[in-house]
Amino acid sequence: MIQEADIGVGISGVEGMQAVMASDFSVAQFRFLERLLVVHGHWCYKRIAQMICYFFYKNIAFGLTLFYFEAFTGFSGQSVYDDWYMLFNVVLTSLPVISLGVLEQDVSSEVCLEFPAIYQQGPRNLFFDWYRILGWMGNGLLASLIIFFLNIVIFYNQAFRIGGQTADMTALGTTMFTCIIWSLNIQIALTMSHFTWIQHATIWGSIVTWYLFLAVYGALSPDISGNAYQILVEALAPAPMYWTTTLLVAITCNLPYMAHIAYQRCLEPMDHHIIQEIKYYRKDVEDQHMWNREQSKGRQKTKIGFTARVEAKIRLLQSKMHKKQ
Amino acid sequence: MLVSIVFIPIGVVSLFASRDVVEIIDQYETECVPQNFRNDKVSFIQSNANKTCTRRLTVTKLMKKPIYVYYQLDNFYQNHRRYVKSRSDSQLKDNSGWDEVSSCKPEDMSNGQPIVPCGLIAWSLFNDTYNFSLNNQQLAVNKKGISWKSDRDRKFGRNVFPRNFQNGTLIGGKSLDPTVPLSKQEDLIVWMRTAALPTFRKLYGKIEWDLQPNEVIHVTLENNYNTYSFSGKKKLVLSTTSWLGGKNDFLGIAYLTVGGLCFFLALSFTVVYLVKPRRLGDPSYLSWNRNPGGH
Repeated sequence: MIQEADIGVGISGVEGMQAVMASDFSVAQFRFLERLLVVHGHWCYKRIAQMICYFFYKNIAFGLTLFYFEAFTGFSGQSVYDDWYMLFNVVLTSLPVISLGVLEQDVSSEVCLEFPAIYQQGPRNLFFDWYRILGWMGNGLLASLIIFFLNIVIFYNQAFRIGGQTADMTALGTTMFTCIIWSLNIQIALTMSHFTWIQHATIWGSIVTWYLFLAVYGALSPDISGNAYQILVEALAPAPMYWTTTLLVAITCNLPYMAHIAYQRCLEPMDHHIIQEIKYYRKDVEDQHMWNREQSKGRQKTKIGFTARVEAKIRLLQSKMHKKQ
Repeated sequence: MLVSIVFIPIGVVSLFASRDVVEIIDQYETECVPQNFRNDKVSFIQSNANKTCTRRLTVTKLMKKPIYVYYQLDNFYQNHRRYVKSRSDSQLKDNSGWDEVSSCKPEDMSNGQPIVPCGLIAWSLFNDTYNFSLNNQQLAVNKKGISWKSDRDRKFGRNVFPRNFQNGTLIGGKSLDPTVPLSKQEDLIVWMRTAALPTFRKLYGKIEWDLQPNEVIHVTLENNYNTYSFSGKKKLVLSTTSWLGGKNDFLGIAYLTVGGLCFFLALSFTVVYLVKPRRLGDPSYLSWNRNPGGH
């Protein structure tokens, strides 16, 4: 039975370890099952859903800029970014996602235990339906378009510094990559609800590490760094256009997501949004009665058996009545 | 709202900076071919005919020095992968690497000897020249300091001299003086920084003289470079710069657009908030309260 189920949970005990060896999760006592399901199950679902969606977003936003550039190079396969940047892309944009996937908590564990109804977000598949997946992919597509075309048109063919120098491919590629790093990291900062020092370190640390990497890579001999020699220190950092472009692109890429989340939180908030607000404004402490009432409402009784069927029928009729009203 | 407050002033400032820049662009590749050769420009450019051409540029607004002279090429794919690969950085850096030409094919060897500097990028060096005069007085063009300092100091060696260059059957562009080391060949250094887009400008020199409005500059140019085989365009550009760079209104306009959009969004969300307020933390929005009797 454990093997046949979607997720099998075994309890190790006096009957031996056979159930444990056959199961996906094992616990030591039966009472741990509640925590496993309602707290970790809920968090796990949210984390995996958000991580996968963000991963799609991140790779689409980065990869499509390479494809757009091909249209400008006669489809010869020239990359607009230096090879080493793409290696560092793995590190600099993936560490924040890992911290999202491992440490994210939309509501705290006490709330999960008090409101088992939050767990229903999982079985109802609210966070990994096609609407959400395609939405994130569309966000990635939009981000790649914004990053690429804003950079191309801003650095078109005129000088980009007061000294009259024009931008070569390395300067354009470095600026574009800087915009990507900023946009992606701000996006994940907007997505996360739970911030510990690890999340701050990975997000802002990634951005700082990018600049450090550019400085160090640029300081290596031109045999290794090629055209990127001194690119940050000499060419880009003194140019106001570099910094203004980065600011513009980073904010513009995140505008659609911000508008969407603002709309959702204002007009169609989801359960965890409300609970986050209650917790933030300490309304659970002020209005203990409301908090307890919501907790009991958030529990549904048994789902099987005669009583459950009767209650389900009553709920159905009630909802029909409400709709008519 | 904060974003719009920050962005709109930046946009205005950038737009004003771009508007301050004065630019004169002159496209000359068709005009500088004599009438009788207009039907077959490729044979003209490959022949030994006289390629001198005179152009007149009128200054529209006051241009303060330094005025930067660029040549602009259209439809020239300096960003093609095979082209970008075709160079040897170790050869350019130091004399000891003079025979490391493997990455430079097909422009690696000529008459059995390695070419210095090898590769397609160096081979296709732009070779039109421009001479400017104002009221019959020569305007000096400063051709020093047009490349990046790091290129001059570290990438192009002081002990590397051109040899065996443009010695083959096909001449792609300018020849180089074999007595001048590469670190001083600034036209080559500027050219070898491959551009990102098929339409690009490269710095030719600087004019250290103010130009008053309505002055007419006479340009005597040598139309040597063959862009006719691939329908490329050649333009001569004179431009001043501002603190932001050359003339490009787009940054300012983009900032204003994004700032305006943010302002509009802030306004509409404020209106929605006033019309249909939602008390934060209001439990009546929880899903089991909104759909009583079933989720």
